[in-house]
Amino acid sequence: MTTCVVGVGNELRGDDGVGLVVARALEGTLPKDVRVLECEGEPVSLLSAWEGCERTIVVDATQSGAQPGTIRRIAAHDGPLPPELGRSSTHLLGVAEAVELARALDRLPGRTIVYGIEGAVFDTGAELTEAVATAAALVAASIRRELESGR
Amino acid sequence: MSDAATKTKTIRTDYLARVEGEGGMRVRMRGDRVVDVQLKIYEPPRFFEAFLRGRQFTEAPDITARICGICPVAYQMSSCLAMESLAGVEVDGQLHALRRLLYCGEWIESHTLHIFMLHAPDFLGVASAVELAKINPELVETALRLKKIGNEVMRVVGGREVHPINVKVGGWYKTPSRAQLEALVPDLEWAKAASLETVRIVAGLDFPELEQDYEFVALDAGGEYPIDRGARLVSTRGLDIPIAEFYDHIVEEHVEHSNALHARLRERGSYLVGPLARYALHRGLLSPDALAAADEVGLEKVVQNPFRSIIVRAVELVHACDEALRLVAEYEEPAEPAVEVVPQTGWGHGASEAPRGVLYHRYRLGAGGAILDAKIVPPTSQNQRSIEEDLFAFVSAHASMPEEELRLRCEQAIRNYDPCISCATHFLTLEVERE
Repeated sequence: MTTCVVGVGNELRGDDGVGLVVARALEGTLPKDVRVLECEGEPVSLLSAWEGCERTIVVDATQSGAQPGTIRRIAAHDGPLPPELGRSSTHLLGVAEAVELARALDRLPGRTIVYGIEGAVFDTGAELTEAVATAAALVAASIRRELESGR
Repeated sequence: MSDAATKTKTIRTDYLARVEGEGGMRVRMRGDRVVDVQLKIYEPPRFFEAFLRGRQFTEAPDITARICGICPVAYQMSSCLAMESLAGVEVDGQLHALRRLLYCGEWIESHTLHIFMLHAPDFLGVASAVELAKINPELVETALRLKKIGNEVMRVVGGREVHPINVKVGGWYKTPSRAQLEALVPDLEWAKAASLETVRIVAGLDFPELEQDYEFVALDAGGEYPIDRGARLVSTRGLDIPIAEFYDHIVEEHVEHSNALHARLRERGSYLVGPLARYALHRGLLSPDALAAADEVGLEKVVQNPFRSIIVRAVELVHACDEALRLVAEYEEPAEPAVEVVPQTGWGHGASEAPRGVLYHRYRLGAGGAILDAKIVPPTSQNQRSIEEDLFAFVSAHASMPEEELRLRCEQAIRNYDPCISCATHFLTLEVERE
């Protein structure tokens, strides 16, 4: 199964960069046929990243008011991201919108998993919050297991 | 004043989606009269200016590229030009042609994103690109393919799509082969045809009425339509200065309602940068087919209705495809990927035309090429006063419009500028206060 894992974010804006942190932790540790990508621009480019993929896993920071470090795993192929996450992505034309755009155009991979990690600090130049860094390691481990078990 | 007269009705709406970043806008009205418009959509990249101090001059392109995920090339080019001008080096010939090609890729990608995904939904009465994809999937598919071609140009020339890693002060780390560039031609030809069609499509939209008397400001790049460079800054009211004199004629002022700096011309106040300005000043330098496309749809020689900027962006899309095709056709692999740049102490100035307008950088270098001071003036901070003036005029003329429609039109008016506010504080809220 052609698979890509995409970390979304801006590493210069504190916890916003957590998706990239997860992608970097996974780089080189996954089976060779799994592509690991970093998306630092706007998430519409996810649609080209997904081209030809049957399975994708996307990791992004969320800002929904939950406890920092809260991890959510959503099977986006089943339906839209929950509203409290949909518009709390830190990118306005965000991951939720990219997922829906892909769904409308029949370009969504058959298995699309979105991991959201709740951030606390999004200021330019801020460091990654400790709880968020811990969550990043957990999500990376979870993605590794997920890809090994074919879940 | 009676209780009724002082009662303020505040309508807080959802943040303004589809602008890159976040911010806020507040309109205050007394009866049907607009009293004040305050926009806080953009904070200049002060963090980056501080971050640059003490760094080596060679690091500026990579650091400033991270200010914006949509127009990293603009930041790279303006910073390279500043360092090179201080050193007395001009990057020319094929090394320059490659820069222009890379920048065309960014224009294609950025203009496409804005025209189809961010601005078109406003005109077509749909909430977002997702809704647009449901009613007109072909249009969105065209946009995705166009954008991908822009990204591909950036990947081939710049080494990466989002933050090109191949750019350096003095030129490139590695230059592409002729074959690599020629492989882009079929896609670019398709992109050009799609861009011509885009001009026709957007010219057929309905445009709200608004005519503004702007002073248009753009770079002057001699005989070429300004994209990747320009030694002088010119305007429709006689400004004509070398880039090094930017701060002699333009001041940045702190405004009370936000942390932002708003730029204005010392002599005359607000001005406008971006597609409308480039087109007004340099229309004659567009490629013949871009110009013919503008004429075919009856685009006026100077566009003063900001809502019609979507047509100008589409015309520039044609131009960017034509330029890219020309540059590829004329490409010869350079003998060396870069020219040597020996840092000098002093002040260096550089400017290029980001998709949204003039992006000016100024650096002061000390001994050994260390950056002592950095100033970055992005297009959106120059346009903020014009955006506020547009909103003031538009709301004044349409005060009786139903609240919801007025709000949508105000959002559309802000998006006329394709504002890049990715480094601003969070989400844009819009408040209309009626006293």
